[in-house]
Amino acid sequence: MKHDYEIAVGPIHPALKEPILLRLTIDGEEIVDVDVIASQNHRGIEWIGMNRNNPIQSLYLAERVCGICNFCHPSNLVMAIEEIADIEVPERAQYIRVIQGELERIHSHLLWAGVAAHEIGFDSLLHYTWMVREKVMDVLEAVNGNRVTKAIIMYGGVRRDIDEEKAKLVRKMCSYYREAFNKLAKLFLEDDTIKKRTREIGILKYEDALKLAAAGPTTRASGVKKDVRQDFPYFAYPDFDVHAITPDELLGYTVGDVYDRIVVRLLEVKQSLEIIEEALNNMPSGDIIAEKKLVKLMAKIKASEGEAVARYEAPRGEDIHYVMLKQGYEPLYSWKIRAPTYINILSWRPMLLGYQIADIPIIAASIDPCLSCTNRFAVVKDGEEKIINADYFHRLSIEKTRRLKK
Amino acid sequence: MAGGGGEKMNVDEAKQKFEEAGYETWVTERIAGVRNKVARKTLWIRVQKDKFRETMQFFKDMADQYPHFSIISCTDLGSNVELNYHFALGYGSHLEEYVVTFKVSLPKDDLEIDSIADIFPAVIYSEREIQEMMGVIVKNIPDGRHMFLTKDFPSGVYPWRRDEAGVKETNKLYERWKDEA
Repeated sequence: MKHDYEIAVGPIHPALKEPILLRLTIDGEEIVDVDVIASQNHRGIEWIGMNRNNPIQSLYLAERVCGICNFCHPSNLVMAIEEIADIEVPERAQYIRVIQGELERIHSHLLWAGVAAHEIGFDSLLHYTWMVREKVMDVLEAVNGNRVTKAIIMYGGVRRDIDEEKAKLVRKMCSYYREAFNKLAKLFLEDDTIKKRTREIGILKYEDALKLAAAGPTTRASGVKKDVRQDFPYFAYPDFDVHAITPDELLGYTVGDVYDRIVVRLLEVKQSLEIIEEALNNMPSGDIIAEKKLVKLMAKIKASEGEAVARYEAPRGEDIHYVMLKQGYEPLYSWKIRAPTYINILSWRPMLLGYQIADIPIIAASIDPCLSCTNRFAVVKDGEEKIINADYFHRLSIEKTRRLKK
Repeated sequence: MAGGGGEKMNVDEAKQKFEEAGYETWVTERIAGVRNKVARKTLWIRVQKDKFRETMQFFKDMADQYPHFSIISCTDLGSNVELNYHFALGYGSHLEEYVVTFKVSLPKDDLEIDSIADIFPAVIYSEREIQEMMGVIVKNIPDGRHMFLTKDFPSGVYPWRRDEAGVKETNKLYERWKDEA
């Protein structure tokens, strides 16, 4: 007799912060239907920005939309408000912003690579990758005073300079990563087990990536040449010849599977190093902020009216904010935040359909979601519920890896 | 053709096409870059509510690449609610991308808009979001469930509204916290 099983993956994963529920219909080992349920917890950040906070407070709030990409959300808010209030940004600040953004991309991509290794049960590689990642975290701390939530960007500039002494640390980091890169690339791209677990798994076709408006490495791994840094002018990026990286650059062809998503992110780490070094070499001198006095700045923003759209290539893809200001109304009159994961979770369905239960962790993680798979899930068989925990689920994934190794 | 420059429809050409079709349009811009100064541009197009679906189909047909959907933003302007459908065109070429935003205004006593999920499948999450956050009814939406708010969120309360349908409890909680602190 055939049973229709439904497994619910979620709603909270203890390691990655955001709560989400994946409800999958299973036929044997095969996934036949996917439903994503995001409504587990709503923090009301936009509401706070539109009702309670003044714009400077909202800047720090925007930083806390996401812990990992804590530079991209405030960057978007800053760009939108600078456009509305017509605040000119000093040249040096635009370069520092680029460097900060790329430092963030390096640490985020390495974090992801570690998680991906963990999801397929390759924990020694997880630890190695995260050990390598510590270098950029140290540099972030040395440059900004904090590893995460660095509070570095401000309307009209940045709050801390990167002087020669700090630049030396960043340069040293770049050469460290150039060496580490070859080893990482070898481990991730040439290992047979990783290939078996990621090649031809979780494919997102080129057409689907376009239709579902996928963003960032997720869409580029499917061959769509789309990168906000390449396409849309912001900060000092027009000075750099950034191009959207697709897997065919390394391999000569594009499959659009999990392996390709690894390729794209690894190459992007290298690309970020090049951008950082170029930015350090060509950094203009001068001020780093247009208006130092916050009261004056606030008055200027409060007197402005208008609307603007700002976009930013976050490590996970296009991040977009829409802001409307009304004269005399202190908080933002309208504020819409769209993080890349918002749109990328649409791609989970085509990626998961037809694959196995044990592939769920790595496929779900392959879009680098700001939320991920399992805390525990309930198996409903003919109406009877059985709770299974994350360890069991993770073990399934490891067992698949072991099977493939034999 | 990806990667090349100049062969794609630029913002002025897109603007002209919409103007010829009888739409009110305008472009805003902001300079970026230090040594290589380039303007980033947004094309705004005002659309009447009853012509909305027709406009979206027109947009999809006239565009020379698949329009990239970003998000629907939504503002309560008092007597009406304004929806902005943000798209992007011109991607794939160096610094040639621009934002295309469609503005639709809905009167408060008739908060209804047609679903375009069959034309642009990626809008579905955003359509679900404006239903629960602003109380806009999306007609013929293929999936009308809550998106981000929990299933048991009170009906008739919409967090983005600035009138009596807005969220009051949260504010009360916050004010109390302020007194205690």
